[in-house]
Amino acid sequence: MASRMDDRTIELALTDLGGRLAYPSVDLWPAVRERIVAGRQPWWRSLIGGLRLPAPVMPIVATLVVILLVVLAVSPEARAKAAELLGLRGVQIIKVPETPTPTPSPTGTPLVPGGRVTLEEARAQAGFTVRVPAALGDPDEVTLEPVAGGARVTLVYRDRPDIPPSSQPGISALVVELGGRLDQNVMGKGIGPGTTLEQLTVNGGLGFWIAGQPHQVFYLDQRGQFQQETLRLAGNTLLWEQDGVTYRIEAQITKDAALRVAASFR
Amino acid sequence: MERAQHGDVDAYGELVRRYQGIATRTAYVITGTSADAEDAAQDAFAKAYFALDRFRSGAPFRPWLLRIVANEAINRRKAAGRRATVDLSVAEGRPSGDTALSPEAAALAGEQREMLLRALRQLRDEDRLVIAYRYFFDLSEAEMAEALRVARGTVKSRLSRALARLRTVAAGEVRLDG
Repeated sequence: MASRMDDRTIELALTDLGGRLAYPSVDLWPAVRERIVAGRQPWWRSLIGGLRLPAPVMPIVATLVVILLVVLAVSPEARAKAAELLGLRGVQIIKVPETPTPTPSPTGTPLVPGGRVTLEEARAQAGFTVRVPAALGDPDEVTLEPVAGGARVTLVYRDRPDIPPSSQPGISALVVELGGRLDQNVMGKGIGPGTTLEQLTVNGGLGFWIAGQPHQVFYLDQRGQFQQETLRLAGNTLLWEQDGVTYRIEAQITKDAALRVAASFR
Repeated sequence: MERAQHGDVDAYGELVRRYQGIATRTAYVITGTSADAEDAAQDAFAKAYFALDRFRSGAPFRPWLLRIVANEAINRRKAAGRRATVDLSVAEGRPSGDTALSPEAAALAGEQREMLLRALRQLRDEDRLVIAYRYFFDLSEAEMAEALRVARGTVKSRLSRALARLRTVAAGEVRLDG
């Protein structure tokens, strides 16, 4: 035995040994499940879910976010400052009712976040190709907002004769553009009952038609991390990926109409 | 995976049951004791659940999980202090598989195993881990790279260094044993 073992012998001996070790074998699931149920994330975690902060700081940040939400609900000026103040990743600004409840309602009354810019400014600063649907004409408002791993450009369309008004007063349609990709595996996440999801090819890229009352969608940002997007209009949504950019149309229109609008993106 | 990522606890249960074998075995190779291995694997599964939103969909789950498991196990060893012994042992009463061998060859194989086991116990946790991934659990090079969070090219050099150290320790063993 004192002779040196050659490589092959040592490899074989290790493989053999690996099969003989006294590994424990227990079912971990009951204990793990108990811990998961006990350790469900507290409300403030979901509110500031995108942030990675040391645990003790989280409730403080969450409280600040709630205070900010209340301020935003009250003050339009503060709202305009929102995107700058909240360069916070993953935080969605949801206008809350008068009572300071931290839980946004599923359909809510979302506002259009971001600083107001011209189309040219958006094109210069977005870091991706900003496209405009010719079918809807020029947008009435353009906002640009920093988000995790890039920027979000929102085109706001006020009254359009062929599109019914949305639940958001004065807005018929929103076009939201984000640098990032779609992932079919998580697209269904955040889509509640009564909502249908259909996978399509739009302008040659992966697309989805979400009809009903969609709430949230997910995309992969430019760093390859999942980000959550709250849909702002409680209407139908067409979203697709084109040249590394995620485009989406939110409006109370049919799938065919949405596809026609999508085809007119220039 | 997808359902678990969507917060479906029972779907996660399926994942736990599918991977708890390799998770516990990996933890055992590091901690060397069953109780610590079970605790480390349990912690890892609980942590992984809450980190699922950071898991890239489509990426392989197993190496991602093993990374968390190994981390938990190594931390546990550190907390126990440098001197904590790695008991790592061979299961008793397991069919030897040496029946085809002559009694002499079987004895030799048994002796060789003991020697390797003693050497393994003295290796650094990281070396034991890389050896286990390759020879005990038969992970592919790509999976090892992912689990060890290193480039694929680094896997080979890590493994060969670990083997070299194993060999050195084993050689020392032989001399000590006379």
